[in-house]
Amino acid sequence: MAEQQKKNKNIVKDISFRVVKATVKAILVYLIYFLLAPMLEPLFGLIPGFMESIEVFVAVYIALMILSDLTAKTVFQYFFNTAQALFFVGYLLLSMGNGVFNVSYENFSLTVNLTLFYTVTVLLSLIGFARTILQAINFMHEKAEASSNLQL
Amino acid sequence: MNVPIRMLGIATSIFWIMLIAFVALAAYSVKDLKFDFGEPQFATNPDGQFVFSLPLYIDNRGYYSLKDFHLSTVFSDAEGAEISRDNTFVPVIPYGENTTILHNVTLSLNSLLENGEQYLFNDNNLNVSVTAGLNFAELLPAQISTNFTFPWGAPFYNFALGEPLFGRSSSTQGAVTVPMSFENHAVFDLVGNIRIELYDSGDSLLGESQTLFNVPQGSSYDGSVAFQVPLNTASLSTAQSGHFNIYFDVGFFEYGPLVIPYG
Repeated sequence: MAEQQKKNKNIVKDISFRVVKATVKAILVYLIYFLLAPMLEPLFGLIPGFMESIEVFVAVYIALMILSDLTAKTVFQYFFNTAQALFFVGYLLLSMGNGVFNVSYENFSLTVNLTLFYTVTVLLSLIGFARTILQAINFMHEKAEASSNLQL
Repeated sequence: MNVPIRMLGIATSIFWIMLIAFVALAAYSVKDLKFDFGEPQFATNPDGQFVFSLPLYIDNRGYYSLKDFHLSTVFSDAEGAEISRDNTFVPVIPYGENTTILHNVTLSLNSLLENGEQYLFNDNNLNVSVTAGLNFAELLPAQISTNFTFPWGAPFYNFALGEPLFGRSSSTQGAVTVPMSFENHAVFDLVGNIRIELYDSGDSLLGESQTLFNVPQGSSYDGSVAFQVPLNTASLSTAQSGHFNIYFDVGFFEYGPLVIPYG
């Protein structure tokens, strides 16, 4: 009975820790966005709708991050991490197209070539994606190893 | 496997931080980048070229140098035929510095006249295409372009010769006076001479005259040209109609003959 109570207490403690961790991480990421957004405004403000799409991106990214933290130590954590990495790559591909932005205002036309920046970002997010896959494999491997040890 | 995964995580995190910091600083630097244009200067040179100088002030208070700054101006006529093209290139505009760039655009009046005499006698609009580009923070090439029209004022706007007035100057010589007028709509003062040949209806040269003029920009010229012609029955009958051949010489360009019939 006492052991059961201790186990329940541990579960509550663990879930509380996950919630606190997810909250702190979400606040930190939002703070970074909050501080960087005014700095990015002069450049990306020229592109209509880009700052709004960044807002949506940050919201979805934070949501996936919270879900990943809440499902920590389960295989779902890696599902959400993978979804996060894929969402990042997908967002980049959809929002940046070929990496060349063209904005026209009256008879002025501004072209910004972000190809190099875009390539580096996609490469980094692909490394992130590969890392989540490796983590998932490692998790399943450790789980299988632990159960085989128990059977022995 | 945990250690390599962790190392991979640390490495990507470092790269992400570097990338985000770079982008944030680059974007923030745009705010501290100021472009300003000075008063444009117009001048003509002895080679018959009209030089338009535009001072451009760049105050780069950002965190990154601007590389490969280029400014290109293309003048073209209404049909899109290129009249002139000029480029200005600055390899580096260092950060924290104020740089002045003088962009010279040369417009050759001779090449303008090759495209048609309307630029000499009629006001016109030239199409101007300006393109400016730079490599910002060595990673973000950017380019801005615009099109506008440049009003071209004709130096001999509304050039006209009146009907010749015949008179007698001696028993063998006649005096012919021809009124001449035009307006200088160009952005430069006009100093030169006009040579006019008077031909009769049989294409025989009756006389030749030259007149000097000095017409400041925006003012008009009203004068007359006098010819001495041989006086005989045959010449009098054929001189009632004919044509003028007019040659313009303004120092930095020459044009002619412009043929104007009379009679």
